[in-house]
Amino acid sequence: MLVPPHPQDGPASSVAAPPQAALLEFRNVQIVYDNAIEAVRDVSIEVPKGQIVALLGSNGAGKSTLLKAMSGILHTEDGSLDNGSIHFGGEDVSHLAPDTIVRRGLVQVPEGRRIFPALTVEENLVIGGYTTAAAVVRERREQAFTLFPRLAERRHQIAGYMSGGEQQMLAIGRALMAKPALLALDEPSLGLAPLIIDRIYEVIAALRRDFAMTVLLVEQNAQRALQIADAGYILENGRVVLDGPADKLARNQDVQEFYLGLSSAGHKSMREVKHYKRRKRWLS
Amino acid sequence: MSFLIDLTVSGLAIGALYGLIAMGFAVIYKATGLVNFAQGEMTMIVAYLAWTIATTLTGNVFVVVAGAVIGAAVLGLAIERIVMRPMLGEPLFAGVMVTVALAVILRSSITFIWDAYPHALDLGVGRDVLRAGGLSLRGAQVAAIVTLLGLLAGFYVFFRFSKFGIAMRAVAADDRAALLMGVSAARIHALAWAASSVIAGIGGVLFAMVYDLSPAMFALGLKGFPATILGGLDSVLGSGVAGLIIGVTENLAGGYLTPGMKDIAGFLMIIVVLMVRPFGLFGEREIVRV
Repeated sequence: MLVPPHPQDGPASSVAAPPQAALLEFRNVQIVYDNAIEAVRDVSIEVPKGQIVALLGSNGAGKSTLLKAMSGILHTEDGSLDNGSIHFGGEDVSHLAPDTIVRRGLVQVPEGRRIFPALTVEENLVIGGYTTAAAVVRERREQAFTLFPRLAERRHQIAGYMSGGEQQMLAIGRALMAKPALLALDEPSLGLAPLIIDRIYEVIAALRRDFAMTVLLVEQNAQRALQIADAGYILENGRVVLDGPADKLARNQDVQEFYLGLSSAGHKSMREVKHYKRRKRWLS
Repeated sequence: MSFLIDLTVSGLAIGALYGLIAMGFAVIYKATGLVNFAQGEMTMIVAYLAWTIATTLTGNVFVVVAGAVIGAAVLGLAIERIVMRPMLGEPLFAGVMVTVALAVILRSSITFIWDAYPHALDLGVGRDVLRAGGLSLRGAQVAAIVTLLGLLAGFYVFFRFSKFGIAMRAVAADDRAALLMGVSAARIHALAWAASSVIAGIGGVLFAMVYDLSPAMFALGLKGFPATILGGLDSVLGSGVAGLIIGVTENLAGGYLTPGMKDIAGFLMIIVVLMVRPFGLFGEREIVRV
């Protein structure tokens, strides 16, 4: 398929033919809320097939905004994709309807889980499989129960009464019902106990290993995410400030200081302070 | 004793009509979060539609009812598409105001399209009095009770086991999360408006068969609304049952106290019930666990 080069591509167009085709690709995306507030500026992100890519950054960096754009629900919050495009499997999905995007296999587990509290576990899963045929739904529901035995035990329970960890498992199980080719998870570890977080991350690793799923992992918990990811992007104030292979990012001194909470030997030399200031100036 | 039974039975008959209209309110509220103040007017339009079919085409009861059902569905879909969908994403209050405006427009359209005189909807059936064991009810009254019970059972199955029913509950709980699962909220809303219009419309046709057709029929909405509040705005089944409760209460109050009590008895009961259960008799208490 021929992809016409973007006029505003700039330096990115020099790598118009990447070595391995990315399954999901944000190209120079700019997102504006209320026609006034720029939430994301000129962000390009590639998620290669079969990999786990971490999208890191603090509150308000624009991570969730990117996921909303990916799922086509920006308009529900008066946001719009003003520039750039989002491609999935070679197709421009920037302006597709949310249900079409789910049918293409691009699904997300939203921030804060957003399970349907008054519905039972099974009913939540039925909604996850809304776009698929009834017979397939039954089969996939059993798969979800195998992956999360806890959900099977609680299948007839009202979802709102379950613990946070169980709700997160349900949220992931629900997203899997649509059989995603790429699953995006928005802060799956938020507000959960460390043991539960371990379990969630085991599942994410299993999804890639056993189901060949591609994962876009949005996290504030950089340390955790970089352990499992192949590559990472760091977002600040709506821009990508750093990206690269996960192990390299984890070793990066700035990342260690600002996101992993590690400091080198307790005291900083003037040289490092300058480095920090220089970095900040470049960022703003 | 037989006075009590008579009052109760005829209360159930009128209560079934309230219940049908109340279910119409609840279906729209459940799916869209809106109170549709044009429900009574939509009910009236459908009844007039049935009368038009009966007087111009054929008086065959099946044809008239089928025509009314189709007409009601088209009316509901048209209102959703033309008036309500542009309001999607706007504040709820604005949407409710739109239904108020719609109510006035539909109410006036009766005198534009038809006329201001009362008419009898005579289909040859429904007006004859059926007697059984000292009870006497008109055929259409029996039909109202049977229809309500049938719809209650039908909606129970729909909301529990059908994908669309579950999706409707999901959209009601969190329409954005539902959108992320590929549930098109707009389609669910359209379905709800059509279903609501049909349910309430059947109530309107049955009402017109028992009583008469007149431009004041929209007041049925004012009778159905308290039933919805009593049953719980988000509870379709509860609204239907609450219609029966309101109908019986009205009749008993009117029979044993003074006829003047009839109109306020239902509202008095609502005030008391809401003090004890603000979410209605069968409404869902919001789950606050996070």
